[in-house]
Amino acid sequence: MKRNILLLAFFVSGLLSAQVSFDAKVSKKRLGINERLRVDFTMNTDGDNFEPPSFENFTVVGGPSQSINNSWINGTRSFSKSYSYYLAPKKRGEFTIGQATIDIEGETYKTLPVKITVSAAIDKPKDPNDPNYIASEKVHLVAEVSSVNPYLNEAITIVYKLYVAQGVWVRNLGEKDNPNYSDFWSQNIDNTGTNSFQNGTYKGEDYRYIVLRKTVLYPQKTGKLNIEPLSIDVTVEVPSKRRDLFGRSLMNSIKKVVSTRNRTITVKPLPENGKPENFSGAVGDFDFSVTTNKQVLKASEALELKVNVSGKGNLKLFKLPKPVLPSALEVYEPEHSENVKTRTSGMQGSISDTYTVVPNFKGSYPIPKVSFSYFDLKTKRYKTLTSERLIIEVSEGPKNANNSGNGSSEVLKENIITTDLNSFSSFKTSTSFHPITFEPFFNSRLFWFLLLGPFLLIPLLMLLIKRRTIRAMDVTGNKIRKTNRLARKYLSEAKKSLGQKERFYNALERALHNYLKSKLRLETSEFNKEKIEELLGNKNVNSTTLEGFISLLTSCELARYTPLSTVDMQNDYKKAAAVINDLDKQLN
Amino acid sequence: MKKFLIFWLLCLVGFSQNTQTFEQANDLYNSGYYKEAIDRYDSILESNQHSAELYFNLANCYYKLNEIGPSIFYYEKALQLSPNDSDILNNLGYAQKMTIDAIQEVPEGGLSKLLNKTLNSLSVDGWAIRCIGLVFLFGGLFLGYYLSYSEAKKRLFFVSSCGILIVLFIALGLLFKKNNLDNTTHPAIIYVKEVDIKTEPNLRSDTSFTLHEGTKVLIIDDYNEDWLKIKLLNGETGWITRSELKAL
Repeated sequence: MKRNILLLAFFVSGLLSAQVSFDAKVSKKRLGINERLRVDFTMNTDGDNFEPPSFENFTVVGGPSQSINNSWINGTRSFSKSYSYYLAPKKRGEFTIGQATIDIEGETYKTLPVKITVSAAIDKPKDPNDPNYIASEKVHLVAEVSSVNPYLNEAITIVYKLYVAQGVWVRNLGEKDNPNYSDFWSQNIDNTGTNSFQNGTYKGEDYRYIVLRKTVLYPQKTGKLNIEPLSIDVTVEVPSKRRDLFGRSLMNSIKKVVSTRNRTITVKPLPENGKPENFSGAVGDFDFSVTTNKQVLKASEALELKVNVSGKGNLKLFKLPKPVLPSALEVYEPEHSENVKTRTSGMQGSISDTYTVVPNFKGSYPIPKVSFSYFDLKTKRYKTLTSERLIIEVSEGPKNANNSGNGSSEVLKENIITTDLNSFSSFKTSTSFHPITFEPFFNSRLFWFLLLGPFLLIPLLMLLIKRRTIRAMDVTGNKIRKTNRLARKYLSEAKKSLGQKERFYNALERALHNYLKSKLRLETSEFNKEKIEELLGNKNVNSTTLEGFISLLTSCELARYTPLSTVDMQNDYKKAAAVINDLDKQLN
Repeated sequence: MKKFLIFWLLCLVGFSQNTQTFEQANDLYNSGYYKEAIDRYDSILESNQHSAELYFNLANCYYKLNEIGPSIFYYEKALQLSPNDSDILNNLGYAQKMTIDAIQEVPEGGLSKLLNKTLNSLSVDGWAIRCIGLVFLFGGLFLGYYLSYSEAKKRLFFVSSCGILIVLFIALGLLFKKNNLDNTTHPAIIYVKEVDIKTEPNLRSDTSFTLHEGTKVLIIDDYNEDWLKIKLLNGETGWITRSELKAL
């Protein structure tokens, strides 16, 4: 029971204490030294013994003035009582307005200390009651830039917010001057549905704000770029000192133009080192692909080749890489398509180029890899994506690739493809190898010899033939030569053994016999001097020759028994030669 | 003599080994193992032996692997050894359809076209051998003229030998022209996917045009070991680094 009572007392006291409030409110927390400040100590229940703080560092220029506000609404009483002081600061700096105390229903309440910053003198101290001044102080148009130091082509977002202080209302918002984002690619984002006031803070104070517009910008230049201010027309309603019949403040309507300040952003250039050659200005995060709708087709059928880039970044602001295709393929101008949505974070979606490709001839055509480079903002590096290499097989089609018809005559193709192209020939099954390094025949010694030889040979041959014919004409000379040849033939053995008596005469006799044998077709058995004399006599050989022959034979016989000198042998040899010659002439 | 015999035996062994490798490579090629087949074919080339068929099969392998540069390179190699082979010409046509560059030829008159065609129909040595043959034919005919007695025969031999002499001089002219052509123009095939052709032999200079894999160019000059001046078939010239092409 006791416990219950305690709890109840606690709640009641809590309820009571929650009902009583005693606050200090300042008209501004920052002020110039030549400005004034108003402090209100407000309570909702009447109290006694109000004790103001000391206000050191300030001079009290007005007050305290007391005001009481008592009203009944729907049977509920609302009460407020306030003490107001007008203060002028004595010097610059940060000061604290101390606690004021008051006794309410036997309890002592204190306000919280308030910090005030006093800055240098303001040029033109404004009349704090001038509605224009209030409007300019309480309504602010702010451009919030997502990044003041972006890379070239990096998306930045500008959000224009109209801040309105508590106690002031705005209406009739109308844009007066649209900024011209000359060095940017810009796109406004529709912000339907968010056109209501939200709570926020502006320079540390509670404000309400409304988002007027959002714009995505892609800087197209490096260096310091100015974002032109946005100006809007607005009607501001400021409470005036006058009150209406019911004690409500009357509003002053002021037409005002509010503008943002000039904003400058510094655009960083993309780094030069590591910049790929094929970089075309893409900044963001992308995927890249090259695809065909078919891989196998017939000649003169069409094929679609799609170069696609998807992802986030400045999609509309760069060119897609062009695939390089074999010259034998007919390629038409690409069809460009974009499927890009712009959000506050930037563009998102995909862009693609679709090429129509028509192969005219049978064969296989490789489509080389296509590379696409972009600057990745996350890693701050360039990235290169490379597509897969594709191969188009053209299975059927005209084999004749003579392209003289279209006027483009390529030397290789002209030279080589003029022959009808059959189907691709397979490997050759047999071969014979020869060394790679070979001696060239041209310019070799053999070559020159064979080339010029015949020319030298012809006169030589001609000379030879001529001499032969001359010889053939010369009858006597011929005969002499013939007998000489005969003698050489038969007497060669005898000549070899000249000087050795026995062998010489044997050889000589044999030579004479042999000569006769071959000339007269004699048998050895019939061989004697008488027979020779008779035979030669029949052949009309003259007597001197006959005698010479016989004497030679005789001396051959005698030589076996008589000593003979070398000179005799020589004489006999010569004699034999002469006799054979003579005989030969007569026997023919 | 013994040494010579051993050398020949070794050569024969080498030949038969290469023929075996060639057949193995053909089997691999036929089963679709092109890369392995290329390895085999290359091993034959490494033993300093070659043939038009070898280059042809090698080029076919590269074609099947869709490697344009090497494919065209080896077809051209095969053509050098056997300039009129219809299979090689046919497949080279296929390979050239894969290339990206379409180079327009400087229009050529009918006569110079005929001349080029004639020149390229034989190798230098082919022309040399034909010249030698003509020389001997001329010699024989001239002797025939010299030796024959009848008026009609003499006239026939004389006229035909004169004709052969004229043909011989034409053939010699072609031989020297072909030799000169071979010595001054070094065809090469671009081996890299894409290459910028510079106006001067340094990297700072402007790019005058871009070439792609498989394009045939002629090397006409060089500088500093590294830079080559090339001429396209349409007459344009520029500088390229040596590593980006392969001379035939």
